[in-house]
Amino acid sequence: MATMTKQRIAQILAKQGILIAFAVFMLAFTIANPKFITVDNVFSVVRSSAILGVMALGVTFVVISGNLDLSVGSMMSFSTIVVLDLHDKLGPLMAIPAMFAMTLCLAAFIGFLVGYLRLNSLIVTLGMLSAIHGLTLTYSGGQNMDIANKTGTWFGVFGQGSALGIPVPILIFAGLAAFLGLVLAKTPFGRKVYAVGGNGTAATFSGIRRARTVFMCYLISGACVATAGLIQASRSLGSQNTVGQGLELQVLAAVILGGASLLGGSGTVFKTVIGVLILGFIQNGLLLVGLQFYVQFVVTWVIIILAVWLDIAAKRGKLWSPIA
Amino acid sequence: MKLRHILAASTAFLALAGTASAETMKIGITQNNVGVDSYQTTYEKAFIAAAKANPDVETVVLDAGGDVARQIAQMEDLIQQDVDAIIIWPTNGEAVIPAVRKAHQAGIPVIVTNSNIAEAGFDFAASFSGPDNITQGARAAEIMCDKFKDMGIDGEARVVHITGQPGYTTAIERAKGFEDRLPEVCPDVTVVDTQPGDWNREKSQQVMEAFLVKYDDIDGVYAGDDNMGVGALNAAKAAGRDGIIFVGATNFAVGYEAMAAGDYWGSIYQSPVDDAEAALQTAIDVLEGKEVPFLNYFDTPKITQDNMGEYEKPVF
Repeated sequence: MATMTKQRIAQILAKQGILIAFAVFMLAFTIANPKFITVDNVFSVVRSSAILGVMALGVTFVVISGNLDLSVGSMMSFSTIVVLDLHDKLGPLMAIPAMFAMTLCLAAFIGFLVGYLRLNSLIVTLGMLSAIHGLTLTYSGGQNMDIANKTGTWFGVFGQGSALGIPVPILIFAGLAAFLGLVLAKTPFGRKVYAVGGNGTAATFSGIRRARTVFMCYLISGACVATAGLIQASRSLGSQNTVGQGLELQVLAAVILGGASLLGGSGTVFKTVIGVLILGFIQNGLLLVGLQFYVQFVVTWVIIILAVWLDIAAKRGKLWSPIA
Repeated sequence: MKLRHILAASTAFLALAGTASAETMKIGITQNNVGVDSYQTTYEKAFIAAAKANPDVETVVLDAGGDVARQIAQMEDLIQQDVDAIIIWPTNGEAVIPAVRKAHQAGIPVIVTNSNIAEAGFDFAASFSGPDNITQGARAAEIMCDKFKDMGIDGEARVVHITGQPGYTTAIERAKGFEDRLPEVCPDVTVVDTQPGDWNREKSQQVMEAFLVKYDDIDGVYAGDDNMGVGALNAAKAAGRDGIIFVGATNFAVGYEAMAAGDYWGSIYQSPVDDAEAALQTAIDVLEGKEVPFLNYFDTPKITQDNMGEYEKPVF
């Protein structure tokens, strides 16, 4: 009986290694500075993580389908700049759908190249990273984009508003995570994404339209990026052209930290959310602890490696494995 | 006869000298990364406009796109084209030194603009034209101190400091100017924390959010530029913390607007137009053999809510 419970606990731990890591860090930071766990701080971290988080949700689909998306950072800059520019030209009501349409066109183009033409996603999206950056700069002429009348618009609601005491970006992030989590775990489409990423050839032979599934994953990623751009634009009502620069690697780090395999076929939305939160809380925790910032780069890396190790150790049931 | 010969010769000589001085100067420029921000975009436009306005100047305008290797290649191209002078906005203060030396050895004077190269390269550059970032930091400290004195809190005020990207000369110099000057003018004001905002509004907003949680009492924020300053201001507004004095540098349009709205106290007025015109003028002065100081700073005055009417809203 006692061994049964021990086994069951081990099983549960094995599945939730990343959660354990998360709990350990939260505890450590709280001991270092009790203000870490205050409602205000937790809200502010989750609110700023929401932008990265929403992007990571979409990239989770792409990664599970066995591909990469390195273009999301540039694409987010594009969405942000476009929606801010159109806000003053068309008004917020028209600017938002127009921006979504433009971002989805870019995503569809990537999806077409990777899905239907079967080009390597690393090459395609790495190229799109700079191509879209160039597009953004051409569009804006290199100028910062700012909404002229910052007080007379309701556009700020997506980034600055709150409902029922909870900041809107968190609501969007949570809502989208719940919805996409269901799509991935409970719908036929979700099963297809896993199948295509796990073994594309087998999936094709069992009648799954591989190209279309990959295409759809990129569209989902595009929609998430557009949503992130909307939150970003709304949060500061103005932006530099480089706002999303470098985010693609953070997004990928969060997705992989959550346990999605870069080879495709595994990962969940829930774990990606944990990955995003770990990254967000590390950054904030190190600030609150007051470490000198040159040290922070190193410490961030150490913590990420620790998290990945804890996750793997829990799966193996032991801390190290002499035979690979 | 003799006299006529001499006259003819001397007139010819004079004429030659005349054409020589009116001959166009060919000036090449390799910029850091045009288009990456509004400052550099405006700089390029102003540079081209200033060059066009001067009939004696012909320019070759290049941009390195932030890439050191490309900038070095552009320097070599300009040497090959045998321009009369080269203006460089270094992508990296260390890595471009060999290229600057090469131009120097080819007899082409090099003028460094906006951000200086590392000291090891000073011997090869004719002049540096740009803002004095240490003075900018010091002036920001004075702006903040004066305001604290007006408010009567200069004996106890607590300040947080958001710097530019770690490792960037501009960021380091502004931080140094601020941190050295503040204790001189306001010895009882403490800087309680310093973190980088990476010249990024969103990053700065996150840093400020953490500061607001960590410190219950913040009286002032110094940010390495207005973009970051406005990010910090957004964080304070969202948290409902009023009465914080925000001081930035490189006054941006957003900072100017926030000053007009009464939310943001002051900044340093640094015009990319002045920057570009100063660089071109320095190059012309060097070519005309005028005495030019090695560190040829253009003025970047203080701007606060009190005197902002004297300055036009920045275009970037």
